[in-house]
Amino acid sequence: MSKVMSMKQAIAKHVNDGDFLFIGGYICRTPFAAIHEIIRQQKKDLTVTRSNAADDFDMMIGAGVVKRFVATFLSLGFYGLGRCYRRSLEQGIPHRIEVEEYTNLSLPMMLMAGSMGMPFIPVKDMAGSDLLNVKSFMGDNKYKIIDSPFDGAKTVLVPALNPDLAIVHVQQADEDGNAQIWGIGGDCQVGANAAKKVIVTCERIVSREVIGKDPSRTIVPDFKVVAVVEEPFCAHPGYTPGFYDFDFAFGNLYKNASSTVEGFQAFLDEWVYGVTGRAKYIEHYIQKMGYGAFRNLQAKFDYGYPVSYAY
Amino acid sequence: MSEHAADYCKPELMACCGAREIKDHNLVLVGTGFPTMSANIARYTHAPHARLMQESGVYDAQPLRPALSVGDPCLNPGAAMIGGLVEIMGMFLQAGWVDIGFLSGSQVDKFGNINTTVIGDYAQPKSRLPGSGGANPIGSLAKKILIIALHDTRRLTERVDFITTPGYIDGPGARERWGLPPDTGPEVIITNKAVMRFDKATGEAYLESYHPDTSVEEVVKLTPWKLNVADDVHETEPPRVEEIRALREILDPNRMIRIYEGRGYV
Repeated sequence: MSKVMSMKQAIAKHVNDGDFLFIGGYICRTPFAAIHEIIRQQKKDLTVTRSNAADDFDMMIGAGVVKRFVATFLSLGFYGLGRCYRRSLEQGIPHRIEVEEYTNLSLPMMLMAGSMGMPFIPVKDMAGSDLLNVKSFMGDNKYKIIDSPFDGAKTVLVPALNPDLAIVHVQQADEDGNAQIWGIGGDCQVGANAAKKVIVTCERIVSREVIGKDPSRTIVPDFKVVAVVEEPFCAHPGYTPGFYDFDFAFGNLYKNASSTVEGFQAFLDEWVYGVTGRAKYIEHYIQKMGYGAFRNLQAKFDYGYPVSYAY
Repeated sequence: MSEHAADYCKPELMACCGAREIKDHNLVLVGTGFPTMSANIARYTHAPHARLMQESGVYDAQPLRPALSVGDPCLNPGAAMIGGLVEIMGMFLQAGWVDIGFLSGSQVDKFGNINTTVIGDYAQPKSRLPGSGGANPIGSLAKKILIIALHDTRRLTERVDFITTPGYIDGPGARERWGLPPDTGPEVIITNKAVMRFDKATGEAYLESYHPDTSVEEVVKLTPWKLNVADDVHETEPPRVEEIRALREILDPNRMIRIYEGRGYV
């Protein structure tokens, strides 16, 4: 049975209120269309995680779908602090989310441990910092410090994470879910493989034969995947290598809009609630910004260097 | 004796100060802005074999424009290796390969502890900041840490509100007690007024050099802890002609670095 379905179907079927979600991306290949669909379907009480969260997590927090955040970082990068994140933690708008804080070393290691069925993993960071002095919903299970059974050295242990669901955006996948990426990885591969099931969104669906032309690029095998969604331009305003560039102007637009509660609400009304899905979003983008702006984001094509697996 | 550029902006001088800390063959873990500029100035002048990496997963990128984030699209084509966080932060940083890490912070204290988490009380923040990201592991595990900061009595502080990233924590021996790797820790704080180097015996930053338009007295006044002054304190060497040439002709022809002037680096 083909796993291909629409974004609306995939989110409705596989994202439950209260779920723990890993959402991949590092500005590179952010599954933004899935984020918008989660907001449109008004999912509730989600726990979300990723190393280096950005505008997409800020938007989910502002829209009220997040209860808990296993975090390392959240900012709009070049555009400054996450406005919705600040409002949530400083003023409780729309509500105060619970944050468990790790780092861009420890969180990927926790996901890696989860992906390999390990119960916990030692890490060499966080020692001596106040990150050890703040605990939230994970309580005493945030970390443990032991004397290493091998050499007696003080060692920080962090628990493995196994999210209920991972959502990752990739360049191409086949109908069964073999998913291939190229470019900056972030914690996408460990996050996807740590999860109990995976939604793959992709720029294009290709045949199993095409996947086999360069199988080293596959980061998730089909047996972990429950849904495949073909969603071109899915990562906008982030980028997908080989497909489209980062949209600097749109970053500014979001920064300005999210600076006030009213502006943020108007942004959601226009770009999330006001469209039925990514196709309509693209239509709206072209109407508003002009076809030239849309065209300018498209990557120049580069055939690259052919790979041979011959023997 | 090198010739010096007659005309430069403060962020360019700061980038050059960073570059001079990098030795040939160093592996440098960079963020965006100054760090990338510094590391690249070093590569085009005295350290041609220095190599850069970004935590997002990139090693030896060949960007055609200055990267605006560590996930910037321009870091992809031409890199020597692309993986993810596990490769850069785990296999390279945690495994002890990284020579230099660059950090900046909203608050930096005299022990080189950095706060990027919260201003005010953690539970009721006055200002909620992004959090650690890669800063804590970089500050914990790179052999030498270069800190970039604005020089005023708000950003520099006797004690940070929250130690996101450990410097010398509360003084000599503290890193060792916490089990952080030996011979790691902050090396300098480069500000828009001065270069402050760490005295490894006390764990405190002292004044090594003041930038050309300021003075020892001004720097001491703008520093909220009792700032020790080196016996051989001197004016910071201005950008050399070859350093400025690397910046303006190769790395940053549109002088995007000037956006840091707007952020107070003047």
